Amino acid sequence: MRKLYINKVQKWVGGFLPFYLFTFLPFFAACSHIDEADRLIYVKPAPAARCVLLEDFTGQRCLNCPTATNIVAQLQEAYGDSVFITVAIHGGPLGFKGNDKLVGLATDVGDEYFKHWNLEYLPVGFVNRHGIVDYIEWTFAVKEELTRPAPMKMEGEADIKGDKVDIRLKMQSTEGTITGKLQIWLLEDGIKAMQLMPDGTADSEYVHNHVLRTPVNGTWGEDITLQEAENKNTHHTQTLDPKWNPEQLSIVAFVYNDQGVQQVVKVKVKNKKV
Amino acid sequence: MRILTTFLLAVGCCLAVFGQQPISLHGSVQSDVLVPQNDSVIGAEKTGDVLTNTYVDLQLQSQYVDAGLRVEYLEHPLPGFERDFEGWGVPHFWVKGRLGCAELTAGTFYEQFGSGLILRTYEERSLGIDNSLLGGRLVLKPVKGVTVKALSGRQRCYWSWNKGLVSGADAEVALNEWMPSLQKSGTELTLGASWVNKYEEQEDVYADATHKYNFPEFVNAWDVRATLNKGPWSLLAEYAQKSQDPSFDNGYSYKRGSAALFSGSYSKKGLSLLLQAKRSENMSFRSKRSMIGTSSFINHLPAFTQDHTYALAALYPYATQLAGGEWAWQAEAGYNFKRKTALGGKYGMNVKVNFSHVRWDGITFYQDVDVQLARKLTKDFKLTLMYMNQRYNKTIVEGEGGMVDSNIFIADGKWQLSSKTTLRTELQYLATADDQGDWAYGLVELSLAPHWMLSASDMYNAGDTHIHYYQGGISFSTGAHRVQLGYGRTRAGYNCSGGVCRYVPASKGYTLSYNFTF
Repeated sequence: MRKLYINKVQKWVGGFLPFYLFTFLPFFAACSHIDEADRLIYVKPAPAARCVLLEDFTGQRCLNCPTATNIVAQLQEAYGDSVFITVAIHGGPLGFKGNDKLVGLATDVGDEYFKHWNLEYLPVGFVNRHGIVDYIEWTFAVKEELTRPAPMKMEGEADIKGDKVDIRLKMQSTEGTITGKLQIWLLEDGIKAMQLMPDGTADSEYVHNHVLRTPVNGTWGEDITLQEAENKNTHHTQTLDPKWNPEQLSIVAFVYNDQGVQQVVKVKVKNKKV
Repeated sequence: MRILTTFLLAVGCCLAVFGQQPISLHGSVQSDVLVPQNDSVIGAEKTGDVLTNTYVDLQLQSQYVDAGLRVEYLEHPLPGFERDFEGWGVPHFWVKGRLGCAELTAGTFYEQFGSGLILRTYEERSLGIDNSLLGGRLVLKPVKGVTVKALSGRQRCYWSWNKGLVSGADAEVALNEWMPSLQKSGTELTLGASWVNKYEEQEDVYADATHKYNFPEFVNAWDVRATLNKGPWSLLAEYAQKSQDPSFDNGYSYKRGSAALFSGSYSKKGLSLLLQAKRSENMSFRSKRSMIGTSSFINHLPAFTQDHTYALAALYPYATQLAGGEWAWQAEAGYNFKRKTALGGKYGMNVKVNFSHVRWDGITFYQDVDVQLARKLTKDFKLTLMYMNQRYNKTIVEGEGGMVDSNIFIADGKWQLSSKTTLRTELQYLATADDQGDWAYGLVELSLAPHWMLSASDMYNAGDTHIHYYQGGISFSTGAHRVQLGYGRTRAGYNCSGGVCRYVPASKGYTLSYNFTF
């Protein structure tokens, strides 16, 4: 009986099944063709409820990094660099510390950050320190963050006094008590230095912006606690390095904890020449 | 876990239904272990006490039903593997039923259509590649010479499966089974056609701050091929095309992709000839459009360059550039000079010449020309000499480094000291003015049949760094077991693929490998 059953199944499988399969094939061969005019969908920019920090891990020997920098430029054009704040952290094996012929932008602290976050490749970034984000997803991640109200306010001023940068910050929590770390970084714009490009060539006149030059208050910042509706003022100084261009400096300061970056501010360093 | 439980129940049911048939158990164990050490000279860091990639395969076989699974342990993977590999579990499990001309597989499976231009799912552990499909596959051989396949499933991505659905069908017809004239002339002619469809939902990827891409949810790929075998001749021609497939790999281009390849070979009476050509453009095909790195490829294009086994010849290996385009040519000729002839000498001589060239848009990606001579000089001694001239575009393949032009010289001598003792030595030298400069390599390998093998090697950078990358090892084989213990250094490098550049660190330490097949 069992053999008879098996023979019947064999006949059906060998005889009819192939034809049934090909009959149904056209239903699976669906094809989406997108005409040129329909390839982009407009998304109205939402009003920004806060500032967003992008930590862009990059390197002068990383040939995909200029592509990521283009995305940064698009976001800055859309939101302005006081709302969308980016810091280019040069480090890791594709960073370049320079030699007697070429300017290098990688720093020991950049290497330390690269190693601490266990990064595997470049370019890659953090958007408000909510996990590693590949550069193609930066725009989406930044848009999402911009809609989230920040629980605190930050303002700052910075100017050069003698051979130092004088930094004054004012912070206030707007939602309960915030405990975390205050990190202050010094950045420089407009640095002409070598960069490997996606086509494999090296551009010796590439202009690097928002380059992290040094942390002002330690590699990982200092502890801070903010009470709701109470102002907290801080004062820091940073000695100028002769290699830096004082006209192109800015300060990025942010408060972060396990929930990510709570708020961030960017302040141009004013060089009041005496 | 739910899928695995369902699978185990299905296996149990199948075995219960067909339980009267004899069942055999087969499997294998593979474990590679590294106990890392710090080494400031080469930049190696001790990243853990013990690192291991361990795999256990089990398979039940019976007349009508087979079933299998694989346990993988990569909680602390070996250096050079992407962090997403960390974990352990049972990512491979399947049950296969055979009845008459049909074979049905449910679970995870590997499959290739033709040369793999539109579908090739496979496992390559050393490269960290496993892109199996989880779903179902039906293979039918309704009449002689005709094979039809249909499949559908989700593709493995590290320890989960992508949401995209991959479906496909393939048909092959061996015309010689139907045409007596072909049979009479000893000609085998096979025609094949395949189709693969990928379905993936829309996702938010922005072209700029105010526009996001409108992605095609269905991507189709087609492939047609013909193979002809007659006597010493073998010919293959294949063409594939892919519809719009904007992805991270191709910079979100809406262009179609295409690939064509031709391969011809001749082999008779000591003479072998091979000629191959391939053109591909925009043929990166993944089940997840925003994927980067090495995972989730649906297809695989053959490299059309020689696979080298000698250490310095393989120092700069070429990797197919799927996302962009490439023209690749390969020609190879080999001849066995018979023994007791003027050129063959007392014991005979084999000569092989190979030429490979890959380029696109006026830029050379890779080229090598190599000549290899293998000759038995005495009853107990065989010598192989090889010269290779190589051009390797390190920027294209690895993301940095420019063009590396090198000349490589290799001498490989093998002495049969006794019926059970063989001594093999290799001396290699790579001369180049580029990258890190010259390299030298030496290897001594002593084989004490049937169980033992001892080896020692050193790769020395005579150019920039003057660092020795030494390695030593001892292996023991008995029956189906093989154990290998080693110690040494491995150099660092870059691996740029899938749009990002990944640094593979140097390592040093004790290595242990165990293989067991039953």
